Amino acid sequence: MTAERIEPHVTCLGCGCACDDVDLTIRQGRIVDTGRACGLGAAWFGDGSTTAGALIDGRAASLDAALASAAELLRQARHPLVYLAPGLSCEAQRLACALADLCRGALDNVSSSTVFHSVLASQEIGRATATLGEVRNRADTVVLWDVDAARYPRLAERYAIDPIGLDIPDGRRGRRVISVTARAAAWPDADQHVPLTRADEVPTLEVVAALLNGVTSPTGAGQVWAVASALADVLLQGRYVAVLADAEPLAAGAGPLEAPGRAAALWRLSHALNHRTRGAVIALRAGGNRTGAESVMTSQAGYPMAVDFAGGAPRYRPFNGAAAAHLDAAGVDAVLVAGDARALDTELLARIGAVPSGVVGPAASDGPLAKSRVAIDTARAGVHEAGTALRLDDVPLPLRSVLNGPPGASDLLAQLTALIK
Amino acid sequence: MTDALRITRGTVYDPANGVDGVVADVCVENGRIVAVVPESARRIDARGMVVMPGGVDIHSHVAGATGNAARRLLPEQHAADAEPAPALTRDGPLARSGAGGTVPTTFTTGYRYAGLGYTTVFDAAVAPLYARSSHAELDETPIVDGGFYVLVGDDAYLWQLIRTGDRPRARQYVAWLLSATGGYALKIVNPGGVEMWKRGHRRRIGLDDPLGSDSVTPRAILDTVCDVADTLRLPHATHIHCNDLGLAGNVATTLATMQALAGRRAHFTHLQFHAYAIGADGRRRSGARELVDYVNQHPEVSADVGQVMFGPATTLTADAAVEYLLYKSSGRKWVNSDIELETGCGIVPHTYREKQAVSALQWVVGLELFLLAADPWRVVLSTDHPNGGSFMAYPELMRLLMDRAYRDDCLKRVNGSLLQGSALADGLSREYTLNEIAIVTRAGPARLLGLTQKGHLGVGADADVTVYTPDDDWSVMFSTPRFVIKGGMVVVEEGQLRRAPAGRRLHVRPDFDRAIEAPLRSFFERHATVSFDNYPIGRLRDAPVATE
Repeated sequence: MTAERIEPHVTCLGCGCACDDVDLTIRQGRIVDTGRACGLGAAWFGDGSTTAGALIDGRAASLDAALASAAELLRQARHPLVYLAPGLSCEAQRLACALADLCRGALDNVSSSTVFHSVLASQEIGRATATLGEVRNRADTVVLWDVDAARYPRLAERYAIDPIGLDIPDGRRGRRVISVTARAAAWPDADQHVPLTRADEVPTLEVVAALLNGVTSPTGAGQVWAVASALADVLLQGRYVAVLADAEPLAAGAGPLEAPGRAAALWRLSHALNHRTRGAVIALRAGGNRTGAESVMTSQAGYPMAVDFAGGAPRYRPFNGAAAAHLDAAGVDAVLVAGDARALDTELLARIGAVPSGVVGPAASDGPLAKSRVAIDTARAGVHEAGTALRLDDVPLPLRSVLNGPPGASDLLAQLTALIK
Repeated sequence: MTDALRITRGTVYDPANGVDGVVADVCVENGRIVAVVPESARRIDARGMVVMPGGVDIHSHVAGATGNAARRLLPEQHAADAEPAPALTRDGPLARSGAGGTVPTTFTTGYRYAGLGYTTVFDAAVAPLYARSSHAELDETPIVDGGFYVLVGDDAYLWQLIRTGDRPRARQYVAWLLSATGGYALKIVNPGGVEMWKRGHRRRIGLDDPLGSDSVTPRAILDTVCDVADTLRLPHATHIHCNDLGLAGNVATTLATMQALAGRRAHFTHLQFHAYAIGADGRRRSGARELVDYVNQHPEVSADVGQVMFGPATTLTADAAVEYLLYKSSGRKWVNSDIELETGCGIVPHTYREKQAVSALQWVVGLELFLLAADPWRVVLSTDHPNGGSFMAYPELMRLLMDRAYRDDCLKRVNGSLLQGSALADGLSREYTLNEIAIVTRAGPARLLGLTQKGHLGVGADADVTVYTPDDDWSVMFSTPRFVIKGGMVVVEEGQLRRAPAGRRLHVRPDFDRAIEAPLRSFFERHATVSFDNYPIGRLRDAPVATE
């Protein structure tokens, strides 16, 4: 019997777009086809296989012994850090928050490394944003602000450029698409290209916002003003302008943090789009339920990243690159990574490796922290473990268990909490 | 801790059962109020104390993605109000720390509501798309039973059905939507105005203005949704936030909306924000008397007040156009979020100040609505938390209603420049009795919500009971209950929060004809970004509230 089955409309966490229309073909316990998923999605699903084991100091151990070891790690620490790596369901993130609260530890997620300035700027300024379906149904003007198409392969087809929308009956032909580039390759299918130097990116954003706010352009004001004026004129012709900007323009581990001032300028632009027309800025995020981690931390602890429960209640400690800063300040003497350590940048991993650490996550025993004090393999959320994940616009989507696998992170984090409580 | 319990010789206020300050025992067993308990039952000596049902909040914003967006916007408030974990007994769930401010974290929200003697709370505005997140947050808002109202007034699919006049399918769709989201009631916010804001229209819209189609008007939206709520026999009337919130002269809009629905069940929410007249000098005035006169004469109408309390607040609403105006006038930080096919969201932090003329007028209008209302069963207490102020200000609000001397002292301090002709400024002597407070905070909201198990202490009711120690200052009494019993469990003991069981989910699941699914699936495939099959949240742990 060739037992082949289709698991329909599965949610993909390959990037923050979280397409939930993926039909998986499964044969003999393996994913053999990923249907509509893009290349990133296909890679994210893989064949559905994962490691199932536990290591203590790099040596095979029973699950019970490994959990006891992880509990001991946290119990003995004066000030542990619980770190939410990508790849956790919201349910597991909630349990990891509880664990940090219980241990009076620090709690953080990748946002403090990758979108630190964006988060702080949104807290200081606010933001005008929208769900991806608003882009699909309403936006007649779409600006790809330094977005590398390869990082969001289905953005155009599913959300932003091609679809026929309720208010965009002509689909692609009904939209003006503008590609602004400072680092990324030009968007392949744009109507208009605006190449910028990296140095001009933030000034251009600021001038466009100023012009939309009603500031008049001085004559002979130079290249930035000229480019920004032309762009502002185009934006004002739109009924609804969606600016899609990659909030994590460089993949984790691949280079410097965000350009200073860029995020604040984007959020200011988002406001400015709403005086004479309507519009939104949407921050594109990479995969693994990153916005879920921010949302869960906010709901439970009041802040989307960089929390410290040391005083018995959550405090915001948004040092630049918060987790690394905590470690450097020697305040943290143990780290538990919950989630997929393979998604962390090498600098952070090196620092985590310098203190007693453990990891509870997918392929923990085969990842960069396999040799740490304890490494416990979990199911992969959305492949073996059901739950919820948030799309980059906070829209919640169900994660399904389509294959059998090791115990889920939720289950293991709950057990760990019970051991410590 | 849900064993039998006898609360002895307290002074009981149970207006739903006609009990007004009678010294009696209240017996509890298996989570319900019972007539008698065995002699061996635990006793709480309530002599000299005030015993009421647990509080019921009919309109609050506590659980969901938009509230969480507000939470995220307020690190400075959270930093100023860090909340350590309560000292719970060790046999129950983990005690959790959190943060307060005007939008507290989930666990802290549950603890603080219970700490005021409230045991049931509804979030008044949830975008269906975000229902899953609201349930997740309610799961982490301990102690209180809760649910939410789903936003339908600017729903794209419903508008298509209004346009084609297909009322039967509108009923089926709304029933499907309530079942898919686990909502409790239907909410309309600024009918038509949310979509018009998204389309870039900035003008005020009248009840009969066409919204892109002659047959879709605010009046048609109100008519359709109220009709659907009635035919589906939902336990709560349609919850209506009228057009023109906050604008001078909006009392005319509010009255016209009430008249449009005359004779039909409708709940008008945060009425205070919709009760401004225009004086002969062209300036804003109180329109409370006009509005209350109408409410007093029309028994089918109910309302909550949406009182403004001086101090910090966070305005948070699907009425995103209003938030844009507030952002422009205040210059404070602003979040706008357009939510596909359904609704919108705007957030601006705000501070109501005694010395600021509009704030003072708003404060006065709210109190006038309370004090002029003839029937407290139909005009109940809310601050539209956190819009008019935090739910933590409820005890202070109760004092304002109960203590005229205190209220008059407060009135002397406020900016009076917009108070000409105000009934309160002219002197309103009414003082709410304890029985009336029990009505506007318990029995009334429960009755308006159709919650037969809540808001009273009759045999069979949920054993949600609050025991207060009287104090000369009513706000002290109401802010520090001596005991709070939730579902039969003593959660506050001697003024201290000791237990934090999970609350129950209050939701409805009306039947619908599955024939609605095919056209709806087709609509989803064309326009939605979430798969039709992934949209429903699935089954909830708690059984739905009956709709018959």
